[in-house]
Amino acid sequence: METLLATFVSGLVLAALYALMASGLSLIWTTIGVFNFAHGALMMVGAFVAWTVSEVGGFGLWPGLIAGVATTTVLGVIIEYLLIRPFYGQRNMVLITVMTTLAAMIILEKSAQIIWGARLKQLPRMIEGDISISGAVISAHEALIVVLAPLILIALWQFTNRTPVGRSLRAVGQNQEAAALLGINVPLTFALAFGLGAALAGLTGVLLGGIRFITPSLGSEPLIKAMIVVIFGGLGSLGATVGAALVIGMAEAFLVLTLGLYWTPFAIFLGLIAVLVLRPNGLFGRS
Amino acid sequence: MSILRIEGIGGGYGSVTVLRDITLTLERGENLGLFGPNGHGKTTLLRMTSGLMRPSSGTIQFDGRDITGASPSKIVTSGLVHTQQGNTLFGDMGVAETLEMAAFTKRARAGATARLEKVYALFPRLAERRKQKSRTLSGGERQMLSIGSALMCAPRLLVLDEPTLGLSPRLKEELTEALIEISNSVPLMVVEQDVELLLAVTDRQVLVEHGEIVREITATNTPDHAEIVAMYFGAQA
Repeated sequence: METLLATFVSGLVLAALYALMASGLSLIWTTIGVFNFAHGALMMVGAFVAWTVSEVGGFGLWPGLIAGVATTTVLGVIIEYLLIRPFYGQRNMVLITVMTTLAAMIILEKSAQIIWGARLKQLPRMIEGDISISGAVISAHEALIVVLAPLILIALWQFTNRTPVGRSLRAVGQNQEAAALLGINVPLTFALAFGLGAALAGLTGVLLGGIRFITPSLGSEPLIKAMIVVIFGGLGSLGATVGAALVIGMAEAFLVLTLGLYWTPFAIFLGLIAVLVLRPNGLFGRS
Repeated sequence: MSILRIEGIGGGYGSVTVLRDITLTLERGENLGLFGPNGHGKTTLLRMTSGLMRPSSGTIQFDGRDITGASPSKIVTSGLVHTQQGNTLFGDMGVAETLEMAAFTKRARAGATARLEKVYALFPRLAERRKQKSRTLSGGERQMLSIGSALMCAPRLLVLDEPTLGLSPRLKEELTEALIEISNSVPLMVVEQDVELLLAVTDRQVLVEHGEIVREITATNTPDHAEIVAMYFGAQA
């Protein structure tokens, strides 16, 4: 019983992390129709900048968090302007932007290597100490992530469903011309979506920096996880992404318990393929 | 002063010329109809008017201001609102959400609540389907939602592209009545295959053929049915 509970709790931590990793990717995909391969690298930059401000600059974690998120937001807007915007409306835009965002990923990772070096770094935790839930022990920092993730996602949902600007993001994602004919500035909306997606990546990176070592390749594994979550859920809505994060987080925790660490990624990919064969539009996608 | 003045507009897609030197003016207090065979440039003319396409020659003035080559969002902000043909709008958005969002520009937001009530009064079916997603609406309801959304933009000139395309005769009649009611408060420029509808809704009609205006119909020279058939299919021997 205790093992089950401990596994459930670790599944919850994974699910929260995966949902955060995937939310920005999903937002950019639904608005612009671009799969941002630089998403993981943006997480990494967020963590490094936060570390520099917090540990090297000595300003503390919260200013570090703000600096990290601000930097990735600006980087996101720059990436959209330089690497996505020139290709709007082209027939092969999805393929072209796979290449350009991959290029952005490589540039960001190599730059990080030059600026910060390969030595491992780590951010202090947001909250020190551990929390024990009837035998299952997680760090207070992880508990914070479990609490914070739903709050951030609810805020994002409220923004995209209740505010005029948020609704305009969805409108542009569903019908660009019709959105433009309502007076929505489509290029501005693209920049906004990319900036917001990059901000979410930066925030996730800072949170990751407290539980994993910060290296230039910090974002590689989260990028793949985010992609699996977004595709598994069904490219489209935030709700589907969150649902998929829960399913994959829990599945991973229980598979590690039963199959072991070695076979878990294999089993998860097998599950992903099976879902896509049976439901080509994803687990929660519309057929 | 005329509300819309199109002068010598030409252009098309890449090397394909669709429009050749079209000149049109819409005076205040009049509604204009455009008709003619498919593929002869009516939709292209509307797309250039609303900024979705850039003309390669000519100028467009709306309300005395040059809007040639301006972005669609700027043109909507100034009050020229274009409803595309067969538009499905935003499939995953509900009816009420679409209408609320359609009042997007600053000018449109002022008085949006009152305008929403007017749209629901004009199209009671939309009021019945407030929560329903756009993609689940029927063709007629989608058309009503498109026109309703355009009205939410606080139009000072409403440009409609084939509003009754593919609708049943009964729905067509319903929509015609709605358009007549709209035309009491907003000037209309309507592209339509159905000349009867144009004669009912608009004051003046022009025939667009091969990217040119080849004939104008006013109250004094209304054509009969045979003449309309001739305009579409060529004169019968």
